[in-house]
Amino acid sequence: MTDSKYFTTTKKGEIFELKAELNSDKKEKKKEAVKKVIASMTVGKDVSALFPDVVNCMQTDNLELKKLVYLYLMNYAKSQPDMAIMAVNTFVKDCEDPNPLIRALAVRTMGCIRVDKITEYLCEPLRKCLKDEDPYVRKTAAVCVAKLHDINAQLVEDQGFLDTLKDLISDSNPMVVANAVAALSEIAESHPNSNLMDLNPQTMNKLLTALNECTEWGQIFILDCLANYTPRDDRESQSICERVTPRLSHANSAVVLSAVKVLMKFMEMLPKDLDYYGTLLKKLAPPLVTLLSAEPELQYVALRNINLIVQRRPEILKHEMKVFYVKYNDPIYVKLEKLDIMIRLASQANIAQVLAELKEYATEVDVDFVRKAVRAIGRCAIKVEQSAERCVSTLLDLIQTKVNYVVQEAIVVIKDIFRKYPNKYESVIATLCENLDSLDEPEARAAMIWIVGEYAERIDNADELLESFLEGFHDESTQVQLQLLTAIVKLFLKKPTETQELVQQVLSLATQDSDNPDLRDRGYIYWRLLSTDPVAAKEVVLAEKPLISEETDLIEPTLLEELICHIGTLASVYHKPPSAFVEGNHGVQHKGLPGSAGSAESESPDAVSAGAATEAPAAVIPSQGDLLGDLLNLDLTPPATTGPLPHSGGMQMGAMDLLGGGLDSLMGAGFGAPPAAMPPAFSAPVSGSLYDLFDLDNGVGMPLGSFCPPKTVWLPAMKAKGLEISGTFVRHAGVIQMEMTITNKAMSVMTGFAIQFNRNSFGLAPAGPIQVPSPLSPNQNIEVSLPLNTVGPVMKMEPLNNLQVKKTLVVFLFRQVFLATWKDIPNENESQFQIKDCHLNSDAASNKLQSINIFTIAERTVDGQDMLYQSMKLTNGIWALAELKVQAGNPNYTVSLKCRAPEVSQCVFQSYEAVLKN
Amino acid sequence: MISQLFILSSKGDHLIYKDFRGEAGNDVINVFYEKVTALPGDQPPVVMSHRDLHFVHVRQGGLYWVATTTSAGSSPFTIIDFLNRLAALVTDYCGSLSEKSVQMNFALIYELLDEVVDYGYIQTTSSDVLKNFIQTEAVSSRPFSLFDLSNVGLFGAETQQSKVAPSSAATRPIQSSRDQGVFVDVIERLSVIIGSNGAVMKADVEGEIKVKCYMLNCSEMRIGLNEEFSIGRSTLRGYGAAVHVDECRFHQAVKLDEFDDHRILKLCPSQGEQTVMQYQLSDNLPSPPPFRLFPTIERDNRGRLLIYMKLRCDLPPKSAAINVSVSVPVPKGCVSLSQELSSPEQRCELKPQSRSLVWTVPRCSGGTQLSAVFKLDVPGLSSASMLEVGPVGLTFELPKLTSTGLQIRFLRLTPVQPGPSQRWVRYVTHSDSYIIRV
Repeated sequence: MTDSKYFTTTKKGEIFELKAELNSDKKEKKKEAVKKVIASMTVGKDVSALFPDVVNCMQTDNLELKKLVYLYLMNYAKSQPDMAIMAVNTFVKDCEDPNPLIRALAVRTMGCIRVDKITEYLCEPLRKCLKDEDPYVRKTAAVCVAKLHDINAQLVEDQGFLDTLKDLISDSNPMVVANAVAALSEIAESHPNSNLMDLNPQTMNKLLTALNECTEWGQIFILDCLANYTPRDDRESQSICERVTPRLSHANSAVVLSAVKVLMKFMEMLPKDLDYYGTLLKKLAPPLVTLLSAEPELQYVALRNINLIVQRRPEILKHEMKVFYVKYNDPIYVKLEKLDIMIRLASQANIAQVLAELKEYATEVDVDFVRKAVRAIGRCAIKVEQSAERCVSTLLDLIQTKVNYVVQEAIVVIKDIFRKYPNKYESVIATLCENLDSLDEPEARAAMIWIVGEYAERIDNADELLESFLEGFHDESTQVQLQLLTAIVKLFLKKPTETQELVQQVLSLATQDSDNPDLRDRGYIYWRLLSTDPVAAKEVVLAEKPLISEETDLIEPTLLEELICHIGTLASVYHKPPSAFVEGNHGVQHKGLPGSAGSAESESPDAVSAGAATEAPAAVIPSQGDLLGDLLNLDLTPPATTGPLPHSGGMQMGAMDLLGGGLDSLMGAGFGAPPAAMPPAFSAPVSGSLYDLFDLDNGVGMPLGSFCPPKTVWLPAMKAKGLEISGTFVRHAGVIQMEMTITNKAMSVMTGFAIQFNRNSFGLAPAGPIQVPSPLSPNQNIEVSLPLNTVGPVMKMEPLNNLQVKKTLVVFLFRQVFLATWKDIPNENESQFQIKDCHLNSDAASNKLQSINIFTIAERTVDGQDMLYQSMKLTNGIWALAELKVQAGNPNYTVSLKCRAPEVSQCVFQSYEAVLKN
Repeated sequence: MISQLFILSSKGDHLIYKDFRGEAGNDVINVFYEKVTALPGDQPPVVMSHRDLHFVHVRQGGLYWVATTTSAGSSPFTIIDFLNRLAALVTDYCGSLSEKSVQMNFALIYELLDEVVDYGYIQTTSSDVLKNFIQTEAVSSRPFSLFDLSNVGLFGAETQQSKVAPSSAATRPIQSSRDQGVFVDVIERLSVIIGSNGAVMKADVEGEIKVKCYMLNCSEMRIGLNEEFSIGRSTLRGYGAAVHVDECRFHQAVKLDEFDDHRILKLCPSQGEQTVMQYQLSDNLPSPPPFRLFPTIERDNRGRLLIYMKLRCDLPPKSAAINVSVSVPVPKGCVSLSQELSSPEQRCELKPQSRSLVWTVPRCSGGTQLSAVFKLDVPGLSSASMLEVGPVGLTFELPKLTSTGLQIRFLRLTPVQPGPSQRWVRYVTHSDSYIIRV
């Protein structure tokens, strides 16, 4: 007699039959009937009609039957809440049963019945079970608190279950500890402001002790919880690392990965010159390698994580290149991931090995993989300059195979190599041209056309080649059409005499016969350019192109940092921050790596990276991430559509919404009696529009001597052919000015200065042209002050590369608004900073801060501490609220910042520090 | 945190469905099945998302084992590991893993799930702990077959019965403990890359020692490994013949107090299967790689592609490789194949969809050399298409052999078991990825 027959009954009147069987006297028959019911339930049949009959079977001392009935209850109780009450008595009775299995079973099941009415009956039994003598019951009860919290959070708080749960962290049984930690962590996530998971050194110690004794799954809970702790100093961080390290040799790879997460995070705190740091780095490699010997699914997840780790700390795996070699029976998704990591690890030392491998891959069967391998060779060339030559020759070998897709892919990457190393490998063009006819993919055709156009002067029959493409112009894809148009214009500018006809032809094709607006517009621009000013056309079309760099495929640093904190989780597999794929109601916490310890370390790259958004000078990294980290980074490259701009727009909207919500009632009450905190200077007309209200920048005079941040070097001479620019932003009488020192460190004279601001999140733009007396002779420097306004996104072009702006501007907030806003901003956006060694009293601090337009709204004194509540607004409409704690006699200040856009907190804090220390 | 867990047959039938947190309805099962079957080949199947829900799944025993989760903090790694472990548990309890066995034992599996996961938190997967809670008896799914003669000797004679365990001995539920026994398997997976010049570019071994235990009253098991077994580069003992691995991991139940001095693993085995030790070795294999291949590729005057292959087996003469299969990528557009093989039991087949020819050799003993000639008709054969004859992949099995040389000296059980020997030690080396470049 087997259970499979339960699945095969499909007769009519089945429910009726089951009903009869359920009410049978024989225990065996009952059990069989309940099994049949559950089988029907599994395949999706509705057997809820049997609810009373099944519940009747509940009163039994047969544990097997009881479990089956409970299984049924969990499924249908929600749809039959009134009936479910019938079962409560039995549950309560079972919670008193002498058999711990039955007690635990009852508590577990009751928690799973998600009916509000039941919860009140649950409290008493749960309280008893939390203190039960049997650990199995206690651990089940601990989980039950989390279940109950999900149904009725208030009840759990009122009944004091949370405290009991906290006590369980010190339980003698590690299983209980693990479950208590898991339950608390989850509850804490939905209550960001509670200090439920108040991690202090004592609890840490308990957790670390329990860690050694737990089951493997319990260890994962505890390690994940440890990862949320921020150690006080590098000592503590080291001792935690030491106690976590043994987990790296655990057989369960999920434990290993969780341990890696903890170590990666706490390593940030360790000074790099410490011996232990080096030892730890060495210890991390073998477990990561071992992760790759698991099933392909696990391998894939491991590789996604290793990809992050390698970007953050390439030194860990730099000698382990071989383990990432592709096996021929790896699934394709594992192969591609390995390939990506190989490139990231490629360096001058191992490039020969890597190239040999890649060349082998390029002859494999799988087309997708081969393409990626060829791409990878191109990326190597761009990443490791010394290898470029070898890469090009490898690519040429591959082109010789004449395998269609290999050739096409190779041509696409050779185009990139040309972009990176102009005028170096043009000798290969002849070979490329031989393969012109075999190209059938748009990307390859476009690449080839680009090459022909770019090097038209070296290709004798460039006009013929391009002409051949022109014949089927309208059948080409847009990409190819655009490229062809540009290439022919280039050709014309280089060889104007022979190609007049050709350019006429392409311009008329593009402008008259095409319905593609992009193509038409580009055609018209070229046409007008050529007809009005051929010299200008030459300068525009044949201008020097910016070099491409290998960083293009790196994950943006702030995002990377966040992802490192999420190692092992879904975020690390998607390579997206959790906020990108989880709805807000699940309480997404922004996590950041802790800064390195001690001020002495602040020069290390790690410490800088914490504030990378503002500090990174002239980074060429395009903002492909969607974080606001780049908000303050004025990058000359046109912002990608996914870049920070649209996002900052969203942030502004957020701020506006906030004001709308927080102020509506206030507005209704009228502005007749402005609150006391409103300074007299505020006399701007209240037009009713909230936006105006806060756009006061110009209505306010500058009180006191304004603070001027020191100039920093924006553009080192190395990067700009000898032009060095250092500068800062100041505000005089309500006008923002950019003060720059321009130094000519080159050997020759410089002339023709102009400035252009890239479109930036502050809408900063020059209010007038830049006044630089040219020529600027070698080694001369000059002070320039440029008034700015904040009107618009403008785009012009000039030598000034990447600037960054750190600018806080004025805003006054009323006290009520401040409070409302403070409350309105979710707590996870709060960040705390310490300002050390600052010897000012609160008044002096307040005055100083006012000089950079941070205004104190309210002040109060608690326990000898002065609390200053302050607010500021950036020109782009982002608000930051701050609470500054000043304790008399204590040189360390604490700033708590709250802001809709938590990414700016770091920079605001830096301005605080700069001002207060000056 | 796991939100739901379900097991589907390969056809998408619902076998088991359990909702732990009430966060989503059971309609997601069909969503999952549609997604997974529509997945293009190059997409990683590991994590898929549907609105707020993320699916993590593995395939074991032809079934889909799926867990869903809604929280960003949950780790797919943990979940995959857990699903694999769950599949192993179900195998332990039901004897074998198939659609049928899961269907027959659904009550047992529900009971297991209840104990193993609570509110999405994984509790335990140790069969030792679980045996205290599980009430349901397993239903064994072994079909009765007239042809199952594995237990019967010729004319009922007792042929080698004392030496060989019946093939079904290791696939029965752990609860049915009529006949007890311990199976220790040493399984190694070999991945080798041999360059076109014959140099060994990479040779790695990943190995594991698995113990499958049906003993009820066994308090301690001692497994003795080779005494000269060494771990890491620095700890080489003596010189020469040491058995050496780079890296070693042990199950947490293993006690290692006698390991350093005597290379003895002590454990108190729980019922069911567990991996006691995992180890790996890269590059310093004690013996040469088991196979060498000497290919010659040329074009004959009738425009056909000729591939001569000489396969040399470098195993010790007494050993043999079985189920050897050599797969050679061939140029695109290859239409037909004729071959000359050295013995009739060998086979060769052209597989156009994977663009390769597969040469299978059922058995190949150590020290022998096999040769074969393949003639391929490729219309429009050019010199470039010769280059498409890519790296050759081999798959094979080496029974009774470990490539690291790891051996089990003894296997002692305390208390001493009465009756005839019920301890079985098996060695096998599989090829994981054995590539010879041409």
